[in-house]
Amino acid sequence: MTHTLHRRGEKEELLQDFPMLALVAQRFNEQGARPKLQRIAEIMLKHSDINFGDCRVNKFTTPVEEIKDNLSVVAHVVFRDKESLTACMRELKEADQGISVIVSGCFEAVEECCQKAGIKPHLTEFSLGVHGRTELLPEEPVLEILTMCGHAMVAKNQVTHLLERIRKGKITPEEAGQELAKPCVCGIFNPERAARLLGRLAGV
Amino acid sequence: MRSDPEKCIGCRKCAVYCPMDCITYPARPEGAGGKGKLMAVVDQDECVECGCCLRAQVCPSGALFRPELTWPRNVRAAFSDPTITFKETNVSGRGTEEMKTNDVTGRFKPGMVGFATEMGRPGLGARLRDLDKMAQALAKVGARFEPLNPVTSLVMEDPASGRVKADLLDEKVLSAIIEAEIELDKFPSVLKVIKEVAGEVESVFSLDVICPTRGDEPNPALPLIARAGFQVRINGKTNLGFGRASNQGVKS
Repeated sequence: MTHTLHRRGEKEELLQDFPMLALVAQRFNEQGARPKLQRIAEIMLKHSDINFGDCRVNKFTTPVEEIKDNLSVVAHVVFRDKESLTACMRELKEADQGISVIVSGCFEAVEECCQKAGIKPHLTEFSLGVHGRTELLPEEPVLEILTMCGHAMVAKNQVTHLLERIRKGKITPEEAGQELAKPCVCGIFNPERAARLLGRLAGV
Repeated sequence: MRSDPEKCIGCRKCAVYCPMDCITYPARPEGAGGKGKLMAVVDQDECVECGCCLRAQVCPSGALFRPELTWPRNVRAAFSDPTITFKETNVSGRGTEEMKTNDVTGRFKPGMVGFATEMGRPGLGARLRDLDKMAQALAKVGARFEPLNPVTSLVMEDPASGRVKADLLDEKVLSAIIEAEIELDKFPSVLKVIKEVAGEVESVFSLDVICPTRGDEPNPALPLIARAGFQVRINGKTNLGFGRASNQGVKS
């Protein structure tokens, strides 16, 4: 489950894309975890409106309140900037629910946010990139979009299909970004970033 | 996944949602109802049973369905559909909690390196034959596979050798994560093996590394990674350290 680890893109793009998740540890703190996870989700949602999901559904397929009511193991959100991420981290630290929280993104920026929020991180995980027959991969801008769903639920053909519709003026890049967010059941896909990338690819 | 030819109206709405691009629309043969009209056909060899086409809910005639999957085909769904939760871990997705709950579990300790090769990621999928190659090579240099990872418990014939069950080698999955750990001093041999196997696999894989540090010391894995010719990306995951054990009778 390394679904938020391998997002691609230049630093400038990554600085507008920070997935966060809260995860219950099985056999260690799952007893009575639901209200804690729900409290964490409330704080997350106060600072982020980009996406929200629990590995079964996300806010583009299911009402937020319904997702929140059914949280049991994991909650995901995505932040668009360091400021909102820092504010959320600070409030989560104060709330002290005892559930693990993980942030993905540019290390330099996450470190800066941790310092501002008075947090000493526990552990980091590194991505050493992609290996093997990389010549089979889609072109980089499309790959940037696709890797925002680490489980690869977003299909390359859907990106191509939506790009055509954007070029024909039938859909906006923002609407297309939200369409692409639907298959990512975790709720870690960033439709705002996707809209920017789609707009550039479509030349609009 | 399958499409029921009796119900399919050939509207071509489902194919765009297929990450494996394995839904086509040939003309119906004689005897299949409405000769010449298009119908969706899911290539059973390429389909990884991820369920994306079904969850998209775009089929107006209810033609798409997932039949009851039996061994070995059910392994495709287990490693491709993230809504499936493994009973061994109670974690959905394809791996374990790994470093995400390390502040609670203490799974990764200083002096050790945790690493993972996620076969088929990003987005291409992989036959378990690729996983077999990588796992066997890693086992030979002393990698110990994570017992709770479904690759170890479900796919491997023998976790000591990394050998994959023979009847699974041709099964295709969206991705499967080999999770393992090794002593820091043996990590360079792991990186060497990974580089060699990268030239032999039919698909791609993503590589992850976790190396806890003692206090504020620089991460000791980083110079080993650089020496082996790998590049660490500027983005990754950070566990903020908010977790703790709270189950009755359990300590962090």
